[in-house]
Amino acid sequence: MTTASMEPPTTGAPDAAGIESSFEDLYEHAPCGHMSTAPDGTILRVNSTFLEWTGYSADQLVGTPFGDLLTPGGRIFAETRYLPVLRLEGAVKEVALPVRRADGSILPTLVNSVFVEQSGGAVQLIRSAIFDATSRQDYERELLAARRMAETSEERLRALQRASAAFIASGSVDAFAEALGASMRDAFEASAAAVFLVDESGTLELVAGTPPEAVVDAAPEGEHDGTPEAEALRSGRVLVWSRSRILESHPTYAAGMKRARIETVIATPLLSGAGASGVVLCSFGRERAFDGRTVELYEALARQASEALARIRLQARLERMALYDQLTGLANRQLLKARLGEVLASAQREGVPTALIVVDLDGFKAVNDRLGHVAGDSVLREVAARLATAIRPGDLAGRFGGDEFLVICEGAGTQAAAAIADRLRGEIGVAIPGIPEDLPISASIGVAVHDGAGSAPVTADRLFVAADSAMFASKHGGRDLTTVVAV
Amino acid sequence: MQVLERNNVKVSGNPAGRPLVFAHGFGCSQEMWRLVAPAFERDHLVVLFDHVGAGGSDLRAYDRSKYDSLHGYADDLLQILETLDLEDAVYVGHSVSAMVGVLAATNDPRRFGALVLVGPSPRYIDDDLGYRGGFSQADIDGLLDALDANYLGWSSDLAPVIMGNPDQPQLGEELTASFCSVDPAIARHFARVTFTSDNRDDLKAVVTPTLILQCTDDVIAPREVGDYVHREIPGSRMVVLAATGHCPNLSSPGEVIEAIEDFLR
Repeated sequence: MTTASMEPPTTGAPDAAGIESSFEDLYEHAPCGHMSTAPDGTILRVNSTFLEWTGYSADQLVGTPFGDLLTPGGRIFAETRYLPVLRLEGAVKEVALPVRRADGSILPTLVNSVFVEQSGGAVQLIRSAIFDATSRQDYERELLAARRMAETSEERLRALQRASAAFIASGSVDAFAEALGASMRDAFEASAAAVFLVDESGTLELVAGTPPEAVVDAAPEGEHDGTPEAEALRSGRVLVWSRSRILESHPTYAAGMKRARIETVIATPLLSGAGASGVVLCSFGRERAFDGRTVELYEALARQASEALARIRLQARLERMALYDQLTGLANRQLLKARLGEVLASAQREGVPTALIVVDLDGFKAVNDRLGHVAGDSVLREVAARLATAIRPGDLAGRFGGDEFLVICEGAGTQAAAAIADRLRGEIGVAIPGIPEDLPISASIGVAVHDGAGSAPVTADRLFVAADSAMFASKHGGRDLTTVVAV
Repeated sequence: MQVLERNNVKVSGNPAGRPLVFAHGFGCSQEMWRLVAPAFERDHLVVLFDHVGAGGSDLRAYDRSKYDSLHGYADDLLQILETLDLEDAVYVGHSVSAMVGVLAATNDPRRFGALVLVGPSPRYIDDDLGYRGGFSQADIDGLLDALDANYLGWSSDLAPVIMGNPDQPQLGEELTASFCSVDPAIARHFARVTFTSDNRDDLKAVVTPTLILQCTDDVIAPREVGDYVHREIPGSRMVVLAATGHCPNLSSPGEVIEAIEDFLR
């Protein structure tokens, strides 16, 4: 620096020029705070501007750590961010640090600091210029608050939209449960989500996702008592369990959470008109608290989910109605036809036999005529139940119409089919409770067997006509008989 | 996902030496070890890395569900040890990474030979039962405010507006490319996860020989907390450094190096 450049300015009022010749005054009354600290943050010198802004005296500050002037949150930031960067880069600019004034109020500041070494490194210190950032902070606060508000509602909306799209794309209860678990996990940054649905017997069943190990350990097989999902189901309310808070009330569950590295679970019931239809359980690897808005989002997602679940279940029921006989619950004519076509096609490919069994009841008309249709219907239901238990796993039994039933047996040759048919005939012949002994029910059965291996393809219609003719042969042969033909 | 790229893993030093793995804490990156790590390169294999979200890590790997607890970071550490096939590793974790190391080493101790915990704290918030972590929940909220005040101007979409130069977005970009770079949204989440975690129960389960390096006058991890960690980890050693503040790896690297060397001797 040359001597000339240190001269006071030559323009302006002479008095002002005189004052500015004092560097002491320039330092003390600069329009920003100045501070020098030791490398460990101990304040060495501070100017009058900073003292005026903060209401401290120099004696109160010199010798104390600069960090003590900050709010605790500001101090964490200073220790973890401001100081490391200052050390590594030698300087930091525009770091926002909240300073506590003597009266306890907060002065938002922006700080520029440089790390300086003098006398060949023997003296190290930090020089800082500190600016009053009150107005900037106010402006930014508003901006930030507005942005957070917008982000929150946008996030919320997006989570609901994503979930809704995923639910619509779900064609089955299983797919829906997967989509629900994934939506909840993503929306709440949960480490895992499990979906439980109430089954026909009224108990909770895990349908998708992984629950914390604790669930398995805390409850006897298949039961969920003493678990958050059970309590959420019972109360119909969102329930939060923190491991540290249930140590005494649910020690087994708490221990299970610990093993599964879970600190918090939140159970959200799926509420529908008829009560809760299920529960979603989200788990978290650290202790979490949920504010009102977040809980509302859980509830909103759950509401959407229970509506979607009701729709999917209704759809499944409609599909069932279209394919199953309403009186007996067995396959109806449409399903039988479709299935027989599939079985014959694959039998042709694989060269295995197929058997079609036609069952026609003997004595059914008499029951209907004497006891009425209600008794007749109960006979049909009883016969259907016996058929369903007497066939092999994988066989399909259906009601073709009136008192005529069909059974499709994939892979059954002549002997196997005859054995199945005789078993069915035996079952049907057992007296039916509530039907008088003088109105006996038996079955005339016709069986058509297609060999599959090496023989010419056969149509479903031809197989049916052959089995139906065989059944009539049994009828005309004296009833309660089995007739087997090869096609 | 390539583990070594995801965590920006840097390996140097003596391939035949006992491995030393350094982990940075909240607020910075592997740069934190710049003054310490080179001292070990002659005798040790030196491994440095960035947590996902910090430094040169792959930000696309930041899964908010995974990193919603320190377990996510601990799982990454185990993967790094596994990928490099390290045995008998000495793990040196600063600040929150001290607890990341504790979680990893209690979950799967096989690859750990020793733990060096620099300024550890298993819980930053005081509890109702007499535990003193040094902070209240309100203090932690204040930290999030401080982060907002500092990172608002950094975020890519708002930086040019704040700088008053919407036509010169490169000014904002320069800020975000600065040292110890961290993504603002991730920094916020990481701060929340770090300062609201409670891993006191995990200390007792440590079976790895452990050294605690405690600074003098560290407000983030006060002496009382260091004593607690020392008491809870069976057989641990504690060395109180003359260094003040929370980052002895920067303010007093020689002392840190000496303490680690003593411990490994």
